[in-house]
Amino acid sequence: MESYQYLIEYFENSPPIIQVVWVMSCFFIIIIVILIIYFKYLRGHLRKNEKIITKHQKEYESYLISFLYAGNEEEEISKDQQTIIDKLKSCAVDEFKRRIIVSTLLRLRNEISGEMAEAIQKLYFQSGLISYALSRLKSKKWYVVAKGIRELTQFHVKEVHDEIVILVNHPKKEIRKEVQLYLVTLFHFDGLKFLDVLQTQLSEWDQIQLLEVLQHFEDQELPNINSWLKSTNDSVVAFALKLAKIYNQFEVKDVIMELLAHHQKTIRVDAINVLSYLQVVEAKDILKNNFDKISQEEQIEFFKLLENLCESSDEPFLLAHVTHENFEIKLSALKILKKLNIEKFKSLEELSPEPEYNRIFKFLAYNQL
Amino acid sequence: MNTSTVEIILTIIHSLFFIYAFFAIASYVVLAIISAIETEEYMKKNSFVNYKEILSSTISPSISIIAPAYNESLNIIENVRSLLSSHYVNYDVVIVNDGSKDDSLEKLILAYDLVKVNFLINQQIPTKPIRAGVFKSTNPAFEKLTVVDKENGGKADALNMGLNISNNSYVACIDVDCLLLENALQKMIKPFLEVTEETVIATGGVIRIANSCVIKDGKLLDVNFPKKWIEKAQILEYLRAFLLGRMAWSRLNGLLVISGAFGLFNKKIAIEVGGYDTNTVGEDMEIVVRMRRHMEETKEKYKVAYIPDPLCWTEAPDNYKIFISQRNRWTRGTIETLRKHRKIAFNPKYKSLGLLSYPYWFFFERLAPVIEVIGIIYFVILMALNEVRWDYAFAFIVLAYLFAVLFSIVAIFSEELTFHQYKKKGTGFKLILISILEPFALHPFILYAAIRGNIDYYFNKKKKWGEMTRKGMAKAEK
Repeated sequence: MESYQYLIEYFENSPPIIQVVWVMSCFFIIIIVILIIYFKYLRGHLRKNEKIITKHQKEYESYLISFLYAGNEEEEISKDQQTIIDKLKSCAVDEFKRRIIVSTLLRLRNEISGEMAEAIQKLYFQSGLISYALSRLKSKKWYVVAKGIRELTQFHVKEVHDEIVILVNHPKKEIRKEVQLYLVTLFHFDGLKFLDVLQTQLSEWDQIQLLEVLQHFEDQELPNINSWLKSTNDSVVAFALKLAKIYNQFEVKDVIMELLAHHQKTIRVDAINVLSYLQVVEAKDILKNNFDKISQEEQIEFFKLLENLCESSDEPFLLAHVTHENFEIKLSALKILKKLNIEKFKSLEELSPEPEYNRIFKFLAYNQL
Repeated sequence: MNTSTVEIILTIIHSLFFIYAFFAIASYVVLAIISAIETEEYMKKNSFVNYKEILSSTISPSISIIAPAYNESLNIIENVRSLLSSHYVNYDVVIVNDGSKDDSLEKLILAYDLVKVNFLINQQIPTKPIRAGVFKSTNPAFEKLTVVDKENGGKADALNMGLNISNNSYVACIDVDCLLLENALQKMIKPFLEVTEETVIATGGVIRIANSCVIKDGKLLDVNFPKKWIEKAQILEYLRAFLLGRMAWSRLNGLLVISGAFGLFNKKIAIEVGGYDTNTVGEDMEIVVRMRRHMEETKEKYKVAYIPDPLCWTEAPDNYKIFISQRNRWTRGTIETLRKHRKIAFNPKYKSLGLLSYPYWFFFERLAPVIEVIGIIYFVILMALNEVRWDYAFAFIVLAYLFAVLFSIVAIFSEELTFHQYKKKGTGFKLILISILEPFALHPFILYAAIRGNIDYYFNKKKKWGEMTRKGMAKAEK
């Protein structure tokens, strides 16, 4: 009691700044104690949650398997199946349980195919899970909307196309990306029509994901990509160039040639790359005539095109560039010359005293291309 | 000097210490708040990203993993196997044997069926010459591997050789003893591909401590909390630095350093600025500052991104001698970089780099240990003169200690609510205990190493890298 009294007196007689410091210290101690208690609870809670999730997953898995084998030919939905639907419906009211049901459904659907996969799809509708996903679309939180669209994509819900397509120019890029994936996953090449109205930039990440999805639909026909190659949205043009290359769109070569004069350098470089891939010989002369006016990246890409499309008539041009200041151009010019005319190549041994030139020359002379 | 003049001087000194401490603590609080906002956003954004799509895509950009190795014979085979086990599709691994005196090269040749090949190197950055040559594997299973054997020139020189050798657009510069998780590259490449309005020049990854973890065939099987105090304290220190500090700087686009243990760079820009500086022991920080400076000077929009996921695990020093040597080097690296780029300091031309990042690093990283030691010396003098106001001293020491503990606990919470790597029962208690003891168990050694670093920087210019004796992560206890 005495020491308590002493502490009070000490505090009251201390200068104000010391009083503030002790008040802050007490505050920190209280926070630390609260955090330590909460920390213990949190770790316990996380561990418990993991166990509960595993338990529910097993439970729902067994429901789903029973559902798949409880059907009969007489009824669309058997009594046993209806019981399972009702059970899932009641569980789905709880958000935590709903998340587990959805993930279990998805996992199972990815493991099976044919009629059983269709049955799972049907169950997704009948258990009312779809209505929760649809309600997510109306959320004010962007990540809830994005997750909703992702779920609708995974369960192939085509019916909400009109509600989703209006989000194609949403200010949040994560939502835009999910919308794009929804359209392409469910409507294949037709889904790419969103490119006509896309006002924002399509990132390289988005483009790769879209192309990956599209590669699953080999038998589909690529729509006319002319308008995308002429788009005012540079990222749409870049994406269209990738489509032209992957799907060998030789018929759009004239539009791609026009892109050699595009205002953006990366598009011009990509255009040369695609023209090289499609072996458009006409591009060669255009680029050759403009060689000194184009950027170094374009020049390097042009030499890659020449490696692909070189002819004897290119020799004078190549000779003019074997001592170019850029390593890659120099290497490319000498490499092509060796391929075209080995005697001419050999005669160039003493052409330049520059060490880099001699290093490249010797490397090419003693190694097969 | 009369008494009142002495009093005025003392009051000024006390006020300066107080102001410094106030701003240091305030900056930590602000950074913690910003980091919480950024972490929440990051977790939301990445909770439904499908990395598998980018993983299998053949049009995903190509990456070279560059790993310099010097006398790493003990673990080199395991380490290379780990680097070769990435799930990313377009990547290769360049091991630069930097004039090792041991049998690293012979071991690699045997283990990976390597043969010498003719290789034309585009010497964009000057480096020490090739020694035994460039090697590729005859086994198709290891076709992604290239080994370069060169004369010793230090880590920066070896990384520069890797930059010259690489044919890819992006380079992941890592320590060869680091263990990369299989999805590390696709997570690190994402920021480069996501942006449309600016250029990402580099992405930094979190470094996690692998001491005591179970690792087999280059894969992390089980995360354990180490037994030694020094290792435990470093885990806490890394959590604070990576989950609170760098996460916040990432949001402010003010990251000045990407750990040399694991970072992904835009190769074109790294080469444009001349690669790594071979005259500093802090080459990892220096290249980031130089790249940023270059982007500011060329007026290009840019970003240094940061990925908080635990993707890279490494062995931390398990004794105080090696620990002090490592921190001594970090201190010298910081001083060298800040000195070299002092033009940036408080220069509005460099915007937040000059007005925020640089001043923060200068005052609260570079000067912090110096000011702390001056404070201790001053306190000792006051004690000798019997001039200490113990009521003040005691109250402020308690407050500073409690703040340090609280800050560490916040870092532990951040880990627990996000990546939750230390799941085992009892580890939570150990983490809390170490946050209470760390100011005594580790901080004095950090301070000592920093002061030694300052002394070595000014009075022992010949000192370069210290030795790091490896125990080998593959042998970590179960």
